[in-house]
Amino acid sequence: MIGSKILLVDDEEIFCDNMAKLLQNRQYKVTAVYNGESAIRALEKENFDVVVLDLKMPGMNGITTLKEIKKLGLFTETLLLTGHGSVDAAIEAIRLGAYDFLTKPCEVDELVEKIEGAWRKKDEAWKKDLENKLKKVVESPSDVFKLFD
Amino acid sequence: MKPSGTLVEILYVKAVTYTKKTEHTGAGMDQNREGKNKKDYSRLFRRFIFLTMVCSLFPLLLAGWAINIHYSEFARERILKTLQTRVEYHKKIIELFLKENKTRLDFIARTNSIEFLIKEGNLTHILNNINRDDWVLTDIGIIDENGDHAAYVGPYKLIDKNYSNAFWFKEVMEKEIYTSDMFMGFRKEPHFIMAVTKKENGRRWILRATVNTDSFRSLVENVRIGRTGDVYILNSKGIYQTSPGFSGEILTQASGFKGEIHDDLKFRFLEIVDRDVKIKKIVCETWLKDPRWLLVVRVGEKEFFEDIRHANRATLVSLHLSALIILIVTVFVTNHMVQVIKKRDSELEEMNTQLMQAGKLASIGELSAGVAHEINNPLAIIMTEHQLLLDAEKRTPITDPEFGEQFAGSLSQIGTQVRRCAHITKNLMKFARRTKSVIETININVFVREVIDLMEREAKSDGITFKSVLDDTIPPILTDPSQLQQVLLNIINNAIAAHENKGYGMITIATRLSNDKTGIVIIVEDTGNGIKDEDIEKVFDPFFTTKSPGQGTGLGLSICYSIVKQLGGNIHVESDVGKGTLFTLTFPLKPPENLLKHG
Repeated sequence: MIGSKILLVDDEEIFCDNMAKLLQNRQYKVTAVYNGESAIRALEKENFDVVVLDLKMPGMNGITTLKEIKKLGLFTETLLLTGHGSVDAAIEAIRLGAYDFLTKPCEVDELVEKIEGAWRKKDEAWKKDLENKLKKVVESPSDVFKLFD
Repeated sequence: MKPSGTLVEILYVKAVTYTKKTEHTGAGMDQNREGKNKKDYSRLFRRFIFLTMVCSLFPLLLAGWAINIHYSEFARERILKTLQTRVEYHKKIIELFLKENKTRLDFIARTNSIEFLIKEGNLTHILNNINRDDWVLTDIGIIDENGDHAAYVGPYKLIDKNYSNAFWFKEVMEKEIYTSDMFMGFRKEPHFIMAVTKKENGRRWILRATVNTDSFRSLVENVRIGRTGDVYILNSKGIYQTSPGFSGEILTQASGFKGEIHDDLKFRFLEIVDRDVKIKKIVCETWLKDPRWLLVVRVGEKEFFEDIRHANRATLVSLHLSALIILIVTVFVTNHMVQVIKKRDSELEEMNTQLMQAGKLASIGELSAGVAHEINNPLAIIMTEHQLLLDAEKRTPITDPEFGEQFAGSLSQIGTQVRRCAHITKNLMKFARRTKSVIETININVFVREVIDLMEREAKSDGITFKSVLDDTIPPILTDPSQLQQVLLNIINNAIAAHENKGYGMITIATRLSNDKTGIVIIVEDTGNGIKDEDIEKVFDPFFTTKSPGQGTGLGLSICYSIVKQLGGNIHVESDVGKGTLFTLTFPLKPPENLLKHG
């Protein structure tokens, strides 16, 4: 979705910057950070539609970061980037709630395709949540202010 | 468990030492070693046999022979002793016979008057009484001191004969009681007499009786032993008193007679030649007391000791038969043991090779994984840089067409090569990957059919058909289906590739239960170009490929090998250049415990 907000998290700065540029070229709004802590901070400050998260990072690794993201309870889908050696960890990440994973090196088009899938999923979840809230408002009009929570 | 027993222990230690020795030689296929191993095994075989001979056969034969000799001697002595007893007993019987008759004559002479004896009929009556049970005396007569018969009863016409010059007459007149040697006399037949003197009315009379020669001979020969046995009597001058059975005649001189008189019984061994055949005889001699006659018992040694010889022969035959059986059994057992050791060695060698292969794969795997991982990051950057350049090219078209063409070509080539590198690293990671296995129960036949369905279309485009020979009776197995699928796909992919330039061919996939019924066997056979002999040992080595550069990474079969081993199975390849290749995959019905526990 053009204009979607993407948070790119990878300790390989050149790769992260390059990928950010490539995604920006494809009309995404991209923020690149180089570790898990920065990613959490960025998510606390603003909403992102999709987080593209490297699995192997010094400090907070991808799995820990994912767990922290989940704790924030945001409408954000997470995509994992991994080397082949850590496919098991990537599968573990999906079990923890990540949308999908991609193995490095990957074509930008592949990543875009996954981002679009993640965005759709996030959008559906957001819409569903909104529907539920509206239903509750219809049932109990006093809850109208909760829509803006 | 270590076997006990001296011989067994020695053999065991030898075997273990030997096995260790062969273990240390490690794996290797060169002919020199094979030749050396063959020599070693035949030396081992010879040593086992030698040890068995030294430790069992030799003592057995030694003990057997010693016991045999000892018992033979013992038995001989016992038999000779028995002979001695018999001869002594017989001597006593003869002595008793002679003494009895002499006493009988003496008794007749003492209890009857000459008048009564010479009276017609009385002497006949006495003779008849004596001969009532056995014909002991041939005749009986009364002779006066002039040597004339006063009375005679017997079958010969001797009544008018005068014996005053007869040697025995003088002897009896002198000794009063006398037993003569054998002589011919007036009757011209060999006989001997017994005579006693009696004084009556101032005159001396002689009561003389002739002992029945046949009866006496029969008595003497009663002790004859066996077919070749002989008994006879010699007088003190060596004259035969009875007819010897096999040599000489009565009243002739016996050859080799020494005349030495002794009271005990003597044995001597004699060798005589009869019709150019040497015959050994045992001669047993004993002197009678009165008269001084020599009782000689001759027995054929061969016949006499025949029972011992039979027993000896039977014992020795049994002994040697036992030794032969031990030897045969030893040869068989040793051969079997050597074969077992040989098999164990070859299994060990194969295991060593497999361990080496697995070790090689593991170390290459780890190295590859590290390298691939490290390369992946710069590769990812190159790939993004490539994409950026492509993006830039789209945004800012190059005005110089020649440069534009060159730039586009180079970018395309960079993309191709980066993707190629990515493919290589992807395979490397796959090769080294230690993902958790998902163990499921699968029906191999269904599984194989699915794989064939998957590959059939691709193979068909190359003119290759599939044939499946599936054994429906094989049981389901516990294994990792995704890994197994990868193995089969890799092998089938190779099989399809092996038909390159042929345009036709067949891939046969067969399943069956393993011979030991503990696993299943999958056979993949193709009709492709085959693998050269020099390449066949390297097919499972990582990065070994016969495909053109860029066509294969050389990791496919290494991955197969690694997976098959991980699943507790085995993979074997045979190939015939120009005819095809056959892969035999064996999988256990259950994977190894560690795979079941940890995946």
